This record gives sequence, C-alpha cells and structure tokens, in this order.
Amino acid sequence: MKKKLVAVLMTAAMTATMLTGCGGDKAAETADTTTSTATDEAADAAEDNAADAGESAEATGEAVTLKIFSNLPDRKNGQGLVEQMIIDEYMAENPNVTIEVEALDEEAYKTKFKAYSMDGMPDVVSIWGQPAFLDEVLEAGVLAELNEADYADYGFIAGSLEGFKKDGKLYGLPRNTDIQIIYYNQKMFEDNGWEVPATYEDFMTLCTTIKDAGITPIAMDGGDGWPMACFLTDLLVKVAGTDYADIVSNAIATGDFSAPEIKQATQLLVNAADAGAFQTGYDTQDYGTAQNLFTNGQAAMFVMGSWECSMALNEDIPEEIRTNIRAFTLPPMADGKGGANDIAAWNGGGYAVSANSEIKEEAIKFLNYMYQPDKLSKYGWENGVGMSAQDQSPFMTGNETELQKQVVDILKNATSVSGTPINDCGPSAFKTTIESEIQSVSNGTESIDDFLAAIGAACK
Amino acid sequence: MEQAGKKKHPISKVILFIVLLVIAVIQIFPLIWLLDFSLASSNEMFTSGLLIIPEKIQWGNYAKAFVDGNFLLYLKNSLLINFLAVAFVIVISIMAAFACKRMQWKLSGLVQTLLLMGMMIPIHATLLPNYKIYSALHLTDTIWALLIPYVAFSLPQGMFLMGSFLESVPKELEEAAVIDGCGIYRIIFIIVTPLLKASITTVSIMTFLNNWNEFMMASTYLSTPKWKTLPFSVLEFTGEYSSNYAVQFAVMALTAAPAVIVYIILNKHITKGVAMGAVKG
Amino acid sequence: MRKMYSNKLVIFSLVLPGLLVFLFAILAPICLSVYYGFTDYSGMGKATWIGFENYKTLAHDTKFFTSLKNSFLLAVGFICIQHPIAIIVAAILDKLQGKAEGFFRCVYFIPNVISVAIIAYLWKFIYNPDFGLLNNVLKAFGYQGQINWLSADNAIWAVLIVLIWHGFGWGMLIYYTGIKNIDPVLYEAAAIDGSDSKTTFLRITLPLMKPVIQVNVTMAIISALKQMETVYLLTNGGPGDRTQFAANYLYQQAFKAFKYGYGNAIGVVFIIICLVVTVLLNNVIFRQEEV
Repeated sequence: MKKKLVAVLMTAAMTATMLTGCGGDKAAETADTTTSTATDEAADAAEDNAADAGESAEATGEAVTLKIFSNLPDRKNGQGLVEQMIIDEYMAENPNVTIEVEALDEEAYKTKFKAYSMDGMPDVVSIWGQPAFLDEVLEAGVLAELNEADYADYGFIAGSLEGFKKDGKLYGLPRNTDIQIIYYNQKMFEDNGWEVPATYEDFMTLCTTIKDAGITPIAMDGGDGWPMACFLTDLLVKVAGTDYADIVSNAIATGDFSAPEIKQATQLLVNAADAGAFQTGYDTQDYGTAQNLFTNGQAAMFVMGSWECSMALNEDIPEEIRTNIRAFTLPPMADGKGGANDIAAWNGGGYAVSANSEIKEEAIKFLNYMYQPDKLSKYGWENGVGMSAQDQSPFMTGNETELQKQVVDILKNATSVSGTPINDCGPSAFKTTIESEIQSVSNGTESIDDFLAAIGAACK
Repeated sequence: MEQAGKKKHPISKVILFIVLLVIAVIQIFPLIWLLDFSLASSNEMFTSGLLIIPEKIQWGNYAKAFVDGNFLLYLKNSLLINFLAVAFVIVISIMAAFACKRMQWKLSGLVQTLLLMGMMIPIHATLLPNYKIYSALHLTDTIWALLIPYVAFSLPQGMFLMGSFLESVPKELEEAAVIDGCGIYRIIFIIVTPLLKASITTVSIMTFLNNWNEFMMASTYLSTPKWKTLPFSVLEFTGEYSSNYAVQFAVMALTAAPAVIVYIILNKHITKGVAMGAVKG
Repeated sequence: MRKMYSNKLVIFSLVLPGLLVFLFAILAPICLSVYYGFTDYSGMGKATWIGFENYKTLAHDTKFFTSLKNSFLLAVGFICIQHPIAIIVAAILDKLQGKAEGFFRCVYFIPNVISVAIIAYLWKFIYNPDFGLLNNVLKAFGYQGQINWLSADNAIWAVLIVLIWHGFGWGMLIYYTGIKNIDPVLYEAAAIDGSDSKTTFLRITLPLMKPVIQVNVTMAIISALKQMETVYLLTNGGPGDRTQFAANYLYQQAFKAFKYGYGNAIGVVFIIICLVVTVLLNNVIFRQEEV
C-alpha cells in the first residue's frame, strides 16, 4: 500500500516537474488536465522526490520567493481569478517557489507603483503599455528588458507589443485587448420594446426614452475619471474615424486641443450628461457603484471595457440579469467619419519584470509561463474575461456566453482599431488633469474651452 | 433652584428631550442602517424603504467578511501596534516631561518647544519624505513603519498632558525620596509615575483614538498583509467584492465592532479620560 | 537634590528618546521635503535642482488655492454649525440627570470611535442618489426628487456634514466637561436673581466657557487645514477639484502625476501655513486672555 502511494506521488511529481520544462510548447495544452490533478500533495512530494527526478534542476532550486504586484484585487472572479489560477499552478509545479501577491485596485495600484519605483519594485508587476504610464517608468529604467524573439510563437496579435516597447526594446507583455463597449440589459430592452440603436442620434433618443421610463439610461463610473475619458475616446473615434490617433498625438505634442473634432466630441459628452444619460451623481461614483446599478437592474446600460464580459459568469450578480447582459459599440454619427466598425480598442494592461529584481531569471520564467498560450489566454477565455492579446481561436468551444461571442464578433468585424485612449496618450500630469477636469466639463461647472485649455496646459 | 425651574416648564423640558433624541437618532441611525443591510442580500439594497427585514438573514455575509477580510490577523496587528504605540508614548513622554518640567538645565524650554512643535506639523506632509526614508532603511512593510510615526505624532500631546499634570504633583515626595537615596530613574518610575495614573489613562485613550483609525500612512508604508491594520479589511474589500454590497456592509460593521464594543464597556472611563485631557489641553 | 536634578547625563538620557523620535520622524522628513521641493524629481530616476521653480508654479496653481479655500470653508462650517450645536446640546445635557444623560453622551460619541475608512465608505452609500439612505429618508417624508448630494455645488457641504457628524461627540464632550466645571454657586446666584435658563446660558455659561471655546475653535481650524482621510475616500477631491484639500492634493501630485518634487513643495508650504495659523491663533487667544 505504502509503496503504491509513493509510486503515485512520484509520477505526479515527475509530471509536475516535467511540465515546467515544456515552456511554450503546445504539448503543455494536452498535459493540462494532468496538471490540475497534480494537487498540493503532489507538490509536497515533488519537493521530497525532487532529487530523484534529476533532470529538472530548475524546479528543485533553492527556495525562491517571487513577489507579484497586481492591479486585480478580486481574486475570485474574472481576470484576478485567472491570474491566481496560474500562480497556484506555478507554485504546484515549482515547489521551491513561493509567490506572494499584493493586489490593489487600479487607482491605488498606480499610486503605490510609483512609490515602489523609487526604491525597489516587486519582481513581477502589472503595467499599462501606454505613454501616460510607461514613459516615465521606462525613463527611470525600473523594468527589465525582455527578449522579443522569445515570444515569436506565443501568438501575440500583430502590433499588440508596440505599446510596450521603447527604442525597439521590449519591456512588457500585453494581457488583454480592451474594447470600449456599451453593455445593456437585453431583457429590460425587450420588456420595454427598446432597440439597440443603429445611429448615435438613435442612441441619444433611446437614452431619453429610458430616462422617461424612470430608469437610469447609462451607468457611468465618473468618479474615477478614466472611464469617462475612454467614453470620450469612443466619441472621438466616431467623430474623427481613423484620424483619431493623429489628432490626439498632434494635440498632445503641441498642447493645443482646439481641433474641431475634439471639441465636437467633448460637446457630445457634455450633451449626453446634460440630457441625463448618466445616473444622478455619476461624477463622484466609483466603479463598483456604477457597475452595481447596472447589475441590479437599476440602469439599462453600462459603459465599460470588454474585460467586464466576465459579468456574465459572476455569481454575485442575480442570474436573471447575468444571463441577459449583451453588448454593442457606440453607433456611428450622421456627420461623423467613423463607421460602425471603427472601434475604440487598445492593448492596455500587461505584465513586466522589475529591472532590479534579485531573482530576475525566475521572474521572467514565471512571466513566460503565464503567457504560454494555454494559460492567460485560455483561462481568460474560459472565464469570460474578454479578449487576450494573443490568438484565442484554438480555445473557442462554441459554449461561450452570448456576451463573449458578441465581443469576438465586434473585434472580428472591426475595420479599424483606435489604439490608446486619449487620457493615456500623454504624460501622467496630462492624465491626472484630464481625468479630473473631465468631471468638471461634463457636469457643466467648466466650459469646453476651459477644459481643452486646461488639458493642453498639462501637456507642457 | 433648578428643580423649581424644571417644574415650571414641563413642556420645554419635553421639547429639549426631543431635540436630544433627534440628535441621538442622527448620530446612530446610519450605523443601524449599516447593520440592517449587512444582514440582507445585495439586491435588497435597492429598495426605497429605510430599513428592511431581510427575506433571509444572511449570516454568510459575516462569514465572508471574517475570513476574506483577514479580520483576525488585522485585528491582532491593530491591537499590537496600538498597544506598543501607547506604551512608547507614555514612557517617552513621562521621561521627557519630567526632564523638562522638574530638572534644571538651560535648554529645557527650547527642547520642550521643539517636542511640542510636532502638534502643529500636518501629519500628511511627511507622507512623501517618510516613505523615501523608510524604504531607504528597509523599514517599509515592517511594524516600525507604523510605530515610529504613530509615536511621533502622539508624543507632543502626551508630553503636553504629562507636563501639565506633573506640575500639580507636589515636589515634597521627590525630596523625601532623594533623602532616602533614590536615584532619578527610580524616582520617575516608582514614585512619580503612579501619581500620574489619571494622565496616563488620558494619554492612552487619546493615543489609542488617534492611531486606531489611521490608514493613510498604513496604506502608504505597508504592502503585504503581515502588518496591515483593521481599516484594511474595509479598503481591500471594496475592490474584492465590488459587486456584492451586502458583504461590504458586513465587513464595515465587523471592523467597526471592536472599537464600539470596547467603548460602550469602558464608556465612563473613556469619557473621563477625554474630558480630563480636554480641560488641561 | 539640586545636583542630582541638574545632572546633564541623566537629563540627556531622559530626553534622548523623545528627541530621537522627533528628529527621525518629523524633522528629517521635513528637511528632505525642503530638498525635494527644489527639484523636479518625478519619483523615479534622477532629481535635478530647479531652484524656486516649483514654488513659482505653486503661486499660480488655482487648485492649491481651491484647497485652501475649502479648508477655510470647512473651518467656518465647524465654527458656525458644529460648535454652536455642540455647546447647546452640552448645556441641555448638563441639566439632565441620571441615566438619560449617560445614554445620550455615549450615543453621541460612538461615531468617533469608528475608523474614518468605514465612515467614508458608509457615507458614500448614504449619499448615493439611487439607493442611499438620505434620499430614502426624503422619500419617506414624501419628497419625490432625487438629490445629488455630491454634485459640484453640494460636495463640499456633504463632506462637511460627514465631518461634523463624525466629530460631533468629541466637541460636545469637551464643552460638556467645561460646563460641568463651572461653579454651581454662580447658577444659584443667577436663579436667585430670577433669570431664566436662556439668560443664564448667555450671561453665565457662555462667558465662562470662553477659554474652552477658544481651544476648541483653534483645534477645529487646524483640523480643517489638515483634512485628508475622509475626502480621500469619499470624493478624492472631486467632482473636478471641488473638494480638494492641501494634503490630498500633494498626495495626488506626488504619487499620481509623477511630480514628487512639486508634491514636496506643496508639503513645505502646507507646513508653513499650519505653523503660521497655529501661532497666530495662539497669539490671538493669548492676547485676549491678557486683556
């Protein structure tokens, strides 16, 4: 009996240790089920039997503690769950590695990140491949350079690595492809006879209709500033079409935001707020509050990125609503250059390794492990967190939620993709300013011209 | 005399009582509201009623709050850090107050002013530079990163109160002790300290109240859960359970509970202590 | 005795811990702040000396002045709303005897022992226009509208209400103690003179409470200046910068906008303002006492 047990543990340990060696191989995908059975006992056993396993020296190295700093505090749902799953697997496969996670939500994360960057960063960190975040970070040289050639067969979508580069060198890897989306409550729409709008004008009419019915049309996280800036980005994409990136980068370079397209988009945002499209008090309410309005049937629509697709699987949300969440993108305007398939989307969040990490090798090893196509991408897909920055087509099963299918279609049908949202295109002083001023301009306490002047001044 | 006045105006007395009652309701109702909804399920929040009777009492909210909020660990940290801070403040302030008030030396006035200056410095202005200092000394994420500023910013008040109480302690006792051959340290800790009991209570309470609720420094200087204090249960939860309001309410009620319960039990002493500090201050 | 009481070594050993804490936790960071205030340090990389550049920027920074204005508003709110109510309630409580008095005092003080973190989140819910307590209370009284308590115009008052609510018990308790310390003989004399309770309050209680009021008011002004935690969690300075406060602003500048040097410059000015205000207030009170 005893012998048998040892034998079982041995095999489990062997599998576990071998898996680490597999690297980015597709073979890992098939072995995946084995991994999940290689439970904690196996991990313990692996530690004991490591010497016998011989070959896999890397897994048997001395005890290493890997610190991960993450912007995903919710470890039981969505993206945070995916991250935690991979961490747990990695620890099971590498018993000598202990991974400590510190997770804060986005605003707090960015604050703490800057504090960390002064003196020693955790080993693996969440980053954003956008100038507002990355420029200063790379300037300070706190991130380790990665070897781009290593990722040739990781299936990254063309162009998705660009935001993470400086002078041709790669410093991080993108996690998601984020699409700016308008989620809506399909059942509520059907019950009231509302239809998904085909034009922006219809969209505004719809908002008025919904408001007249005593329901909040759009739940907006205005307290944080960035979701509104993303919405403004979407408006600008519909106004300016493919000129979006040029207009924005030009404005930021010159500090002159008086371009008619930007003005018009801002005007549309102000008009929408004026018309009561957002909930009362949107300009001070946070992410959770806005989301809860929508997920509790108090609001008909919710403006947010595609990462919130996981709502469809979140059991904290009442089933009746969860299963009825659908999505559309901001419809085109009569006088706008952007078509229905010119979408606001970007590769934002991702991971990087700290340059002064004492265990850089180990950290990069873990990073690469996460990005094996059958990890982040696959688990992300299975947990409905939206689109990864890698090719996900092998993982489509046909059993995806309706919401996921819609988002896939949105991306598949896109004729152009905007790139970085406006607030993340400039230096961080610009980001801080626009995210605060956008509250003032939308609630009418500041004129559009003052708003444009203020964000222009912050670029200098 | 007062009695006569009261008998004359029974109506005004009732009115006054009602005023007091209304204020009491204003002060306490939000907390009752908090308790009420912490036992409901999330979607029951969206009613227009003031209080609700939950369809089913959700004790599970508290279980989640207790476990996922790291309640015990954070409570332990909070208690430990606060007790240590109180102890340091008391010992250091008695020593410094004694030296400045009783001993004879030229710089006593200057040192006293210097130490009291801490009262005027806005604590948050030191957040940025202190972060830099602590990380250079590898003190971030240790208990010292909280203890040092907590002690530093409670010390001036402690010293001030100790000093003013000390002035009312008669010198004769000390003189007798000196004649008996007591050393200074023995005089301070064996003879004088027991006489300062009242002010020690006051300083303890003030220090405790100051630091128990602090989270700005804690959230800047700490990163891992190892030393995090009770307010973190709440701060972390709003991110983790953003889509579950009831659990958020439960964690708020749970973290508020220890201080409120202790206060209600020690009500009289705390009131006395605060009052004494107020009069002296 | 004298010899022993002027032993330099002993004195040194007694004040050393206090001085060390002061040097390390207060003086050193202030010096560092002064240094970084003269640089363009972003928080990472190198710091370049730029002289008074940060201070020049600060002189034209409308947001900083908004934050000072907000501190001022807050102080006025404390003095004109919180303190009068606290004094009157304290005076009424003083007249009550027995259990009721203890009960009210206890209830009034409870919010004070609850962490600011909880208070701020709780009030976020209370203010929520869609399902918050306040609007539901109004609904219960028959009001049908939906008030946005944290709108640009209301937000600063909403913050003030939270702070008044939170700190009410403390202020009340201090006034209560002050009133208790008034010699009852004075009240008896007043009663013999036949003055009613209103006159007694105005003629005897208030004047005798002057020193307590002065101390309390000083504390209120200083705490208005130092305000950060509640605002940080409740509105984080928003909407726009309507509820910005100096401490919150310097934190934002240093850790969010990558202007660590500028944040420190704000910190230095902030410290100076606090020192000046405290000294001024003390002098005013001191002078009045002499008169």
